Amino acid sequence: MNDISTWDVVRNLLDGVLWTLGLSLTAFVLGGLTGLALLFARIASTAWLRKLAKAYIEVFQGTPLLMQLFIIFFGSSLIGLELSPWLAAALGLTLFTSAYLGEIWRGCVESVPKGQWEASASLALSHFEQMRYVILPQALKIAIAPTVGFSVQVVKGTAVTSIIGFVELTKTGSMLANATYQPFLVFGLVALGYFALCYPLSVFSRRLERSAHGTRAH
Amino acid sequence: MTYAFDFASLLEYRDILLAGTLRTLALTAIGTFFGLALGVLGAASRAWQLAPWNRVFAVYVELIRNTPFLVQLFFIFFGLPSLGVSINEWQASILAMVINLGAYSTEIIRAGIEATPRGQIEAAESLAMTRRQIFLRVVLAPALRKVWPAICSQVVIVMLGSSVCSQIAAEELTFAANFIQSRNFRAFETYFVVTGMYFLLALAIRQLMLRAGDRLIGGRRT
Amino acid sequence: MALVRIDGLHKHFGSNHVLKGINLKVERGEVVALIGRSGSGKSTLLRSINGLERFEDGLIEVDGERLHAGQTNLRDLRQKVGMVFQQFNLFPHLSAGQNVMLAPEVVKKLPKAECESIARAMLAKVGLAEKFDAYPDQLSGGQQQRVAIARALAMQPQVLLCDEITSALDPELVSEVLAVVKTLAAEGMTLVMVTHEMRFAREVGDTLVFMHEGRIHESGAPDTLFTRPRTPELANFIGSIH
Repeated sequence: MNDISTWDVVRNLLDGVLWTLGLSLTAFVLGGLTGLALLFARIASTAWLRKLAKAYIEVFQGTPLLMQLFIIFFGSSLIGLELSPWLAAALGLTLFTSAYLGEIWRGCVESVPKGQWEASASLALSHFEQMRYVILPQALKIAIAPTVGFSVQVVKGTAVTSIIGFVELTKTGSMLANATYQPFLVFGLVALGYFALCYPLSVFSRRLERSAHGTRAH
Repeated sequence: MTYAFDFASLLEYRDILLAGTLRTLALTAIGTFFGLALGVLGAASRAWQLAPWNRVFAVYVELIRNTPFLVQLFFIFFGLPSLGVSINEWQASILAMVINLGAYSTEIIRAGIEATPRGQIEAAESLAMTRRQIFLRVVLAPALRKVWPAICSQVVIVMLGSSVCSQIAAEELTFAANFIQSRNFRAFETYFVVTGMYFLLALAIRQLMLRAGDRLIGGRRT
Repeated sequence: MALVRIDGLHKHFGSNHVLKGINLKVERGEVVALIGRSGSGKSTLLRSINGLERFEDGLIEVDGERLHAGQTNLRDLRQKVGMVFQQFNLFPHLSAGQNVMLAPEVVKKLPKAECESIARAMLAKVGLAEKFDAYPDQLSGGQQQRVAIARALAMQPQVLLCDEITSALDPELVSEVLAVVKTLAAEGMTLVMVTHEMRFAREVGDTLVFMHEGRIHESGAPDTLFTRPRTPELANFIGSIH
């Protein structure tokens, strides 16, 4: 077992990085779309829709991602669906991501000053038109930095899916650590892989945040 | 196909669930205490640019915030022994939680410190207070008070994240769930109930911490 | 028939009874100035007229368009009522021209070219023809407020509501905004304004309405009210602002 070269380790880990990246992108895109629906539900004029969206967000933000994955994995088999680890991971992370993005974006919409709602209302714009032409364009600008910032949490969240058997970077690392008896090196490299994915996103998000404060809003 | 839910079968495992809950709480309490202490130190050295510590903390914060908690935990638990440092699952869990919360709270508290109005510090300086006195007596409490809600949220995140400590066989709440479902073969019911328990724990910890913040941190809410 | 008719208007903020049965008529072309201390209900009354504040009892009618307590469909009413705010509330992501064009385009569904010519005409009217492409944060407070007036006028409202439109301005910028309002009044625009500029209210207003504790305490021709107030509250108020 010990004839695995460092090069083999690195090559396998790079494969893992690709799976981590793929899962992150999937969850981010699908979670973003679901999050958008949540955002609209969260600020809808229908009270039960608002409450439902709020409850959804609170449940996903108030429970461990690992538990959410377990429930999806074992719950789906109860209704006769045998989800592969990949599908369970993608579904779980999508739901998790949507809850956070929905909430982040709601904050952005609410940070648009009340006067903007009043001015557009006094011009006889409907609720939808207010959102479309006045509120969302402004909220979108505010939302970019925290959204990029949250993408870091999504990438890190993918590590938990290793526990339900999805072979991404962390799972690859665990298997290699067992095979090589070099956990320090292997997990160090695994951490480096995540860092290489996340750090640029963190820096980018901070830069966006700074330039959003420094320049005007258009 | 109909599936008969059986939540009652969990009742006989209530002692295991209770023990798991208490251990999760204990992990969180210890992790929070030392993690926040580390965060205050880090925030102070970052905000006041105390060389070389500001650099050290800057690197530490970036490393921790850009890698998953699970990997940090594995690195500590599996990696350190290979360097000759012996560490058990509890020590590794607590160490990982402290290090993780320390990094996040450094950034949170630093934001609070940097929001201190310049005039407050100038007033204290004009009263001939030392830098250390100014930090401890004038800056710290209002800064903590300002960011306390964010700290509470972060502690809840760390508590929820501690569920992965089950992976190094720390017998906390998730470990209890894994154990029970391997015995009663009721995976869905078990995880469902334990998820509910985490949810209640998250609510309780947030409330408790918000209240404790009002009590412990001096001064009025602004 | 009066252009604006308000009948028995009642409004609460929680347990605070802020409007206690307001009756008011505004004729076409009339300029009405609402005055009174802060908290007297004058802003709330103004904001009720285009449905920004809900009310519990009473009726508002503008040019035949009725607004009942609790009504939520306000689109027709709001097309007849323009509003200018204390804080301008220009849309920061749109240029001055786009600010003015938005509602004609979206609400009235006019062709884009027509909206643009309306916007250019309205900006010219407030003396800002050359600022069509400027963004709000490139304009002074006075200029922003004039764009806001042009934005409201572009919908060709029957009545224009002005809510303390000079209160957020630096003193040297007040007169350019007041000059625009004065021109509108001279052209026969119906205006209802809440203002602290007493000299302006006296000069331009046809009717002065003094509000006190949620009621219309006294109203009439400005000169009469200023020189011969009938109630001690109004005398007191006039005394306190000079």
